[in-house]
Amino acid sequence: MFNLKTHWLLLLVAVLFAFAAFGCGEEAADPVDDDPAEDPADEAEFEGEVLIGIMVPTTGSEAADGTDMENAALLAVEEINEAGGVMGHRVITTTGDDGCDPSMATAAASQLVSEEVVALVGGYCSGATLPTLAIYGEAGIPFVIAASNATSLIDENPGWGFMINSTGLDQAATAVAKFQELGVETIGVMDSGDAYSADLKEQTILQWEEAGYEVVADDTVQRGEVDFSAFVTTIMSTQPDGIYWTGYQAEGALLIRQLREGGYEGVIMVGDGSSAQELIDLAGDEAEGVLCTGPPLTDFLPAAQNFIQRYEESFPREPGAYAALTYDAARLLFDAMERAGSFDSAEIRDALEATDGFEGLAGPISFTDQNTLARSNFVILEARDGRWALVE
Amino acid sequence: MAIHEILIQQLFNGLLIGSFYGLVAIGYSMVYGIIKLLNFAHGDIYMLGAFSGLVFLSIVAPTIGAGWGSLILGMLISMLLVGLVGVFIQRVAYRPMLKAPRLSILITALAVSMILYNTIMLLSSGRFLPFRTEISTESFFLGPLRLTETRVVLIVAAFALMFIMHMFITKTMYGKAMRAISLDRDTCQLMGIDVYKIIALTFFVGSALAAAAGIMAGVYYGTIHFYMGFLIGLKAFTAAVIGGIGIIPGAMLGGLLLGLLEAFGTQIPFIGTVWKDVFSFAFLILFLIFKPNGLLGRSESERM
Amino acid sequence: MADINKKAKTTNPFESIIEALFVFFEKKINMYAFIVLAVGFLVVFPNVSSRFTQEIMTNLFFYVVVCLGLNIIVGYAGLLHLGYAAFFAVGAYTTGILSSRMGMDFWLTIPFSIVAAVIAGLAIGFPTLRLRGDYLAIVTLGFGEITRLTIRNLDITGGAIGLIGIQRPVLFGITLNQITHFYYMFFILAIIAIIVSYRLENSRMGRAWEYIREDEDAAAAMGINVVTTRLYAFIIGSSFGAVGGSFFAAKMTAISPDSFMFIHSVMFLMAVVLGGMGKIPGVVLGSMLVVLIPEVARGIGPYRLLIFGFLLLIIMLYRPQGIWPDKPAISAKE
Repeated sequence: MFNLKTHWLLLLVAVLFAFAAFGCGEEAADPVDDDPAEDPADEAEFEGEVLIGIMVPTTGSEAADGTDMENAALLAVEEINEAGGVMGHRVITTTGDDGCDPSMATAAASQLVSEEVVALVGGYCSGATLPTLAIYGEAGIPFVIAASNATSLIDENPGWGFMINSTGLDQAATAVAKFQELGVETIGVMDSGDAYSADLKEQTILQWEEAGYEVVADDTVQRGEVDFSAFVTTIMSTQPDGIYWTGYQAEGALLIRQLREGGYEGVIMVGDGSSAQELIDLAGDEAEGVLCTGPPLTDFLPAAQNFIQRYEESFPREPGAYAALTYDAARLLFDAMERAGSFDSAEIRDALEATDGFEGLAGPISFTDQNTLARSNFVILEARDGRWALVE
Repeated sequence: MAIHEILIQQLFNGLLIGSFYGLVAIGYSMVYGIIKLLNFAHGDIYMLGAFSGLVFLSIVAPTIGAGWGSLILGMLISMLLVGLVGVFIQRVAYRPMLKAPRLSILITALAVSMILYNTIMLLSSGRFLPFRTEISTESFFLGPLRLTETRVVLIVAAFALMFIMHMFITKTMYGKAMRAISLDRDTCQLMGIDVYKIIALTFFVGSALAAAAGIMAGVYYGTIHFYMGFLIGLKAFTAAVIGGIGIIPGAMLGGLLLGLLEAFGTQIPFIGTVWKDVFSFAFLILFLIFKPNGLLGRSESERM
Repeated sequence: MADINKKAKTTNPFESIIEALFVFFEKKINMYAFIVLAVGFLVVFPNVSSRFTQEIMTNLFFYVVVCLGLNIIVGYAGLLHLGYAAFFAVGAYTTGILSSRMGMDFWLTIPFSIVAAVIAGLAIGFPTLRLRGDYLAIVTLGFGEITRLTIRNLDITGGAIGLIGIQRPVLFGITLNQITHFYYMFFILAIIAIIVSYRLENSRMGRAWEYIREDEDAAAAMGINVVTTRLYAFIIGSSFGAVGGSFFAAKMTAISPDSFMFIHSVMFLMAVVLGGMGKIPGVVLGSMLVVLIPEVARGIGPYRLLIFGFLLLIIMLYRPQGIWPDKPAISAKE
C-alpha cells in the first residue's frame, strides 16, 4: 500500500522524473530546437560536417534576446547549408546557455570546448561573456561576439574574440554627439549596476566632461528596482537638459514613466540595452519621444528585408534587436573559413583578423588591432507611435 | 526645486511607499505573532496579488474597461483568491510543521517561496509585464507637491485598509482570539478556542492585505515581475521589526517609518538610490541589536 | 525497545537497501576499502572523462567545501544562515583584489582571505549574539545582501563590472590553468574539508555546538559560553567559504557581484539541508544532488529552481533530517 511516510523517496523520484519529462517535452515542442540544417530537402552531397557553437542566454531574464540571437544564427546556418555548406561541409551547431550569469557562462564555455567546436558565435551580456574569453583563448577557439560590447572585454581579450558590435566607447560617443546636437548642456545619468551599463555610464561621463559639459546627477539602481522616486526628485531639483539611462529595458521603462509623471520634460535617451520593443511596451504613452543609441535594427537595414522575411517564416516572432548582428556573425565566420581554406581554428582566427570590409547586414565589418569593430554602428532611434523609428 | 519642496515631495513619496510596506508588514507581524514563523513566502504572496490582479484586468478590460471600478473589483477578488491561497499554503506546508523545530519551518517557508516565484516565472516567461490601466497619469500640483490621481487614491486606499485592519484586530472577537493565541497557544486550545481556524483566518487576512498592496504596486509602478516579492518581503520584515514584531499597529508604524527613512535617506548626497537598500538593512540590524522589540514592543524575554 | 525497532523497519525497498549498506559499512574494513576505491576512482577520473564532466565534478568538489562550511553553522551549531554567499564573496574578493590589483601571488592571498573571513564572521556574529532562530536567519540574509550591494557599489571591488585579471596560481613551477588542475585542486580541498569537519565534529567545540543546537538554555546552564561558541561557529564556518571563494576566483579569473546573490546562498543551504544537515556524508550527498540534478536532467533547464523548491518542501515535511539516514533501523520523524 502506498504510504507517504515510508514511500516518500519513491514519490520524490517520481516527481523528479515527471518534471524532467515535462521539461524535455516542452523543449521538443519548441520550434527553435528544430535544427533547420536537418531539413530532408537538403540532404545534398556533403563531404563532412563542421561544428559551430552558439553561446547565448536561453534562460533567465535575457532569454528573449538570447533566443532571438540563436534563431538568427540558425537561420544563417540553414542558408549556408542550402547553398552547399562551407567548402562542401555541412554546418551543425550546438548551443551553450550562459543565462547572463558569469558562472553559468563558464560552464557553458567549458561544455562547448569539450564538444570541440571549431569556432563559435554569440555573446550577449558582457558580464557573462567576460570570463569565457579566457576559456576560449586557452582552448584556441575563435569567438565572433555579436552583441557584448563593454570596454572591459577589450582588455581581457586574449586575441580569440572578435567584437562586431560597436563598443561602449562608440556608443557613448554617439550619445554625446546627439546631446550636443540637441543643445543639451547638462545631463543626468543612471545605470543598473552591471558590467555593461556601468561601463557605458562611465564612458559617457568621461566623454561628456571632456567635451566641457556637466553631469549634474549620477546614480545606480539594482536590477529589478522599481522605485526611482529619489532619483526623480534629484532630477527635478537639478533639472538637467537630458538624461541617459544605460541599463536594460525593464527598469528603463519604469524610470521613463516615473520621470515623466514626476514632471520631467527634458530629453530622455536610453542605451542599446534598452533597445528592445519591450521598453516602449512597458513605458506606454510616456515612451513617446524617447531616444535610443541603438544597434542597427533590422527594420531599418535595406539589406535586411529578405532576412526579416526568412526569419519570420522560420520562427514564431519578429527578429529582435541583435538578430542582424548575430546573423552577420555567423556569416562572417563562414566567410573566414572559406578565406582560410580550412577548419583549423588558428587559421580561422587569422582570417577573421584579416577581414576587410565584409558586407554584413549591419554594414561593412573590419577589425581594429584590438579585434573591435573599426567603425561605430550605432544609430539614433526615436520612439514614435509605439515603435522605434530611425532618426536622420 | 527648493529644499522645502524636496522635503515635502519626499515626505509624500515616503508615506506612499511606507503604506505598501505597512500593508505587507501587517501580514508578516500577524503570522509571527500567532505561530512564531517568519513567513518567508509572504513577499511572494504580494507578488501573487499583483499577478492575479493583472490576470483579472486582462480578462475584464475588453468588457468593462480598466478604470477604477474594475481595479477595485479586481482588488477585492484578488484579495479573496490570494487569501485562500495563503490558507492553503498554511494548511499544506506550515500546519504539519507547528511542532517541529523553528529551523525546519523556516526552511519550509523558503521552499514555499521558491515554488511560488518560480511558478510565476515560468508562467510569465520571466518577463516584466505591463500593468495596464486606463487611469490618467496626468500630474497636477497641490501646493508644492506634484501628484497624480493614482497616487492620491492609492495612499488613501492603503490608509483605509490599515484602519479597517486596526478595527478588526481590536474590536472583533477574531481579533481578540488572535492576540490571545499569540500569547499562549496551548491555553487557548484548552479554553476551547479553535486555534487552527484562527490561524487559518490570520493567514487569510495577512495574505489578502499583501495581495492588495501588490495590486496597488502594480498600478503605481505600471510593471510587475515574478521576483518583486523578494525585496518587499525583506523591507516588510524590517518594518515589522522596527515597529515591534507581533504588534499590528507596530507593523503599520514601522512601514511608514521605513518608507520615510528611505525617502529622506536617499536625498542625503552620500547615499542616493545606490545605497538605499543597504541603508534600510542597516536600520534592520541596528534595531535588532539595540531595540529588538521595536518601537511599540514591550520588553519581553520571550520575544527573543 | 526491540519491538519499536521492528515496527520502524519498513518494507520500502530503498530504505532496506540503505540499511543494508549501513550494516555493510559498519565493518571498518569494508568502509576503508570503499573509501580507497572511491578516492582512487576520483583520482584517475580525469583521464577518462571530458573537459565538461571534469568541470561538473570540480563544481561538485567546490560545493562540498563551501557547504561543509555552512554545515558547521547550520548543521553543527543549529544557526540558520541565509547569507552564506557573503563569506564566499569575501574570500573571492580578497584574493581578487590582492591578486589583480596588487599582483600578489595567489597562495599568499589565502591567509588574507581567511583573516577577512574571520572578520566577516565576527561582524555577523556580534550583532546576532542574542538572537534566536528566525531573527538570526533574516539578519544573515540582510548581511548577505549588504555585502553584495557594498561589493557592487565600491570601486576597489571593481563595482558592478567586478574584478578581472586575477592571476592563476603557480605550483612547483606549473601554472594551474587547465580544468584538470582545478579538478585535483578542489578535490584535495574537499578532502581536507571533510577531514577538518570530521575532527571538529568530534572535538570539544563540536560537542559544544551540539549542545547549543539542542537546547541553548540548558547548554548555558552547563557552563558553555553560548556567545563564544556561536562566534567560533561563524568564524570557522566562514573560513571554509572564504577558502572556497579564493580558489573559485583563481579558477574564474574574473568575478562579479552576480555570482554572490541570495539564490546562491539558498543553493548552498539546500545542499546542506537536503542531504542531511550536520552529517558529513549528508552534505556530500546534498552537494551531489544540487550540482548533478540540473546536469542529468538537462531538459529541466528553467524548471530547475521549481523542482528544487518542491524537493526542499517534501524533505522538510516528511524527512526534515535530510535524505542521509541517521542510524539504521530507526527512521525518525521528529
